[in-house]
Amino acid sequence: MEIERVKGKVYEERPGFPVQYGPERTDRQPGSPLVPHEVYRDLVTILLLTAMIFFLTAAVMPGLETPRNPAETEAFTVPDWYVLFSFGLLKFASIIPEVQIPGVLGLPPALLSVGFWGFFLTQLPLIFLVILPFIDRGRETRPAKAPIRSAFGIAFLIVWIFTTSMYSVNNLILEKWPVVGSDNVLKGFIIGPPILAGIAAYVGLRRLGYSSMYWYRIIPLGAAFLIALGHAIWILWAIQGHAQWSWIAVFLAFLVGLTAVPAVAVTFLPERTALRFTTATGLFLIFLGFAVWFTVGFYTPSVLGQVEIVLIPNMHTIFALPIFSVITAYVALRRPYSTYEYLLNECYQCGKCHTVCPVTKVEDDAVGGLNLVYNSFKKEHDGVPLWTCLACDACSAVCPLDIQYSDYILEERAKIMGQSAVDGGETER
Amino acid sequence: MIPEYGPGRAIPHPVLFRLLDSEADDTTIPEIKVEHKSEFAYYPGCVDYYDQEMQFSHMNYGDTNHGVIFDSSVKLLRAVGIEPMILDRSFMKCCGHDQLWQGKVDVFRKMRDYNTKIIKMIGVKTLVTSCAEGYRTLRLDYKLDGVRVVHITQILYERGLRLPPSGDGKRIRVAYQDPCRSCRQMPVDPVYEEPRELIRRVDNADLVELKTFRADAQCCGVAQMMYCNDKTKGLTYKRMDEARDVEADYLLTACPKCLTHFGCLHHENKWRPDDERYPFRVMDITQFLAERLAGPWPTGGNVDEKKKEPPLPGRRVS
Repeated sequence: MEIERVKGKVYEERPGFPVQYGPERTDRQPGSPLVPHEVYRDLVTILLLTAMIFFLTAAVMPGLETPRNPAETEAFTVPDWYVLFSFGLLKFASIIPEVQIPGVLGLPPALLSVGFWGFFLTQLPLIFLVILPFIDRGRETRPAKAPIRSAFGIAFLIVWIFTTSMYSVNNLILEKWPVVGSDNVLKGFIIGPPILAGIAAYVGLRRLGYSSMYWYRIIPLGAAFLIALGHAIWILWAIQGHAQWSWIAVFLAFLVGLTAVPAVAVTFLPERTALRFTTATGLFLIFLGFAVWFTVGFYTPSVLGQVEIVLIPNMHTIFALPIFSVITAYVALRRPYSTYEYLLNECYQCGKCHTVCPVTKVEDDAVGGLNLVYNSFKKEHDGVPLWTCLACDACSAVCPLDIQYSDYILEERAKIMGQSAVDGGETER
Repeated sequence: MIPEYGPGRAIPHPVLFRLLDSEADDTTIPEIKVEHKSEFAYYPGCVDYYDQEMQFSHMNYGDTNHGVIFDSSVKLLRAVGIEPMILDRSFMKCCGHDQLWQGKVDVFRKMRDYNTKIIKMIGVKTLVTSCAEGYRTLRLDYKLDGVRVVHITQILYERGLRLPPSGDGKRIRVAYQDPCRSCRQMPVDPVYEEPRELIRRVDNADLVELKTFRADAQCCGVAQMMYCNDKTKGLTYKRMDEARDVEADYLLTACPKCLTHFGCLHHENKWRPDDERYPFRVMDITQFLAERLAGPWPTGGNVDEKKKEPPLPGRRVS
């Protein structure tokens, strides 16, 4: 019956379609009308809020502080949180030298001051956003299909803004944690994390998009390992004769080892084993971090404090790279098993697959709209499409977006058979 | 998982698949003595299992002959100057296609690793297979670096198979069923043109296309040996009706699974002589081509080699 209705284009009484059309429509309409239902409900909310404001002004007297004296400048000023990044960039711009431009063609001479450079740096992400449509001409908008753009976004619009916001309170940080040592450490920390986060995001998004991964795993992780190793050797060479040299060596060995494990794992081991090693390394890293955190109070005068004094100024590589290695290796090895639905979302439901599917022509349960793709969208299987599917790929052959449904069938069947094996196998019939 | 539609019900030959699965557990590699070394190897797949399992095979009382695919393939390969090493099932395992598509990925991996080891061990350069499913699986799902995997029609076309002219001037209409696995499902090197070109080389054959062909070709009804029931038979009916509508004399295919299911339906609809629903013959393309070559008729081990005409259908009377 359903089929005849569709053929005759009779849409009345189907879900979502009214029984009658036009102004003479008399059937009950879904939803509630604006007057009086919606008006009354909004009025109640508005009056309640107004009453609360009146009550608060009457009952709670705000205490006014002494007025601020404009003559004296405060020792520490900080803007509102949403412009912290800009403030941090203004401070950071002091590393750029001021440039005096001589006046030419009747124009007055200009000074590219620290203020100008700070303003310029603040606009940098915006400039990037403005020119982005002219650089990236692809039609893909999903992050997994446009990994470069997405990695830039994560690096500069999220991590870069976070680190610059952190730099805006640099003097507070130096005051509270004197072990950090100098402002240069914090300056370096603006640059490093966005780049590392961008690389990690790019690798992870490639994996999410089912792209080839071989060199994209080995190169960043190998480079991280080599940089950490070189830096560790340089530190040990530079502090010869230090009282805690051997302790520092032990610590550096740990940290370099934490970068080495993912690098070796992705190069030589199969994926699943490498993922296990990486996860274990990550857990160990978290454990080590907590151990240092909790013991630092006890050992500060003797051992760990001195180790920290040496290591923390080098934290851009020595502390950031193990974290980077573990995260990158994890996102690069993780099996994106739940993301086939994500790729399936390319489908815009033109229904060509449904037209050509041979199963729908013979299977009673499948006549009238039950097929693989629609079920996949609902993320539920009534069993029929999954096990009657011939995997003949007629749907993929006509798909305008070239979605490989047979891969999806393979994956779902493997999942169910694996679960069935875990449950003790299927009963015999 | 809702049990009435689960995999247990969907796989119709449980004994066969238990056997194949249990075979995969034994991964000891036997000693293999290669009699004549060649860079070509022919992998017949699991056709001999079908012959024993299917009720309508020539081993039982039908006339569908899977073993003849093996004979014909070797005869054709010899005709184009290839003396292949035979990757026999005495030391090879099933390629694992059915297990993979039934969801038994662990069984498939065992088979793949074992077969890959043996193929590398005996030094195969070009692996020829006569089975569409085997072609796809060995080409895409295996990681056979350095081994070229080809379907038999591809290598016959490439090396220029020449067929002698037949004596009688009777024209025959030949339809070709594109197996899903070697056509649509191959992103690289799909086998569309080669079998058609080979059919055109038979001088008295007219190639007719079915209603749906090439990438649009309808499936034969059953893939990966799942769900043999009235619904899948309905699909096979549709496909064979297409062949009847174009008045084909032969329905050829390049996949033993298609041959199995066409043969099954063909057998069921053979009521009386001259009163058949499907008047055409169903056979594998290798058999069709090999019957046109000079030399002993390919028999699939059914009758003696000296026979020069096709074997009679039905049970062999000893």
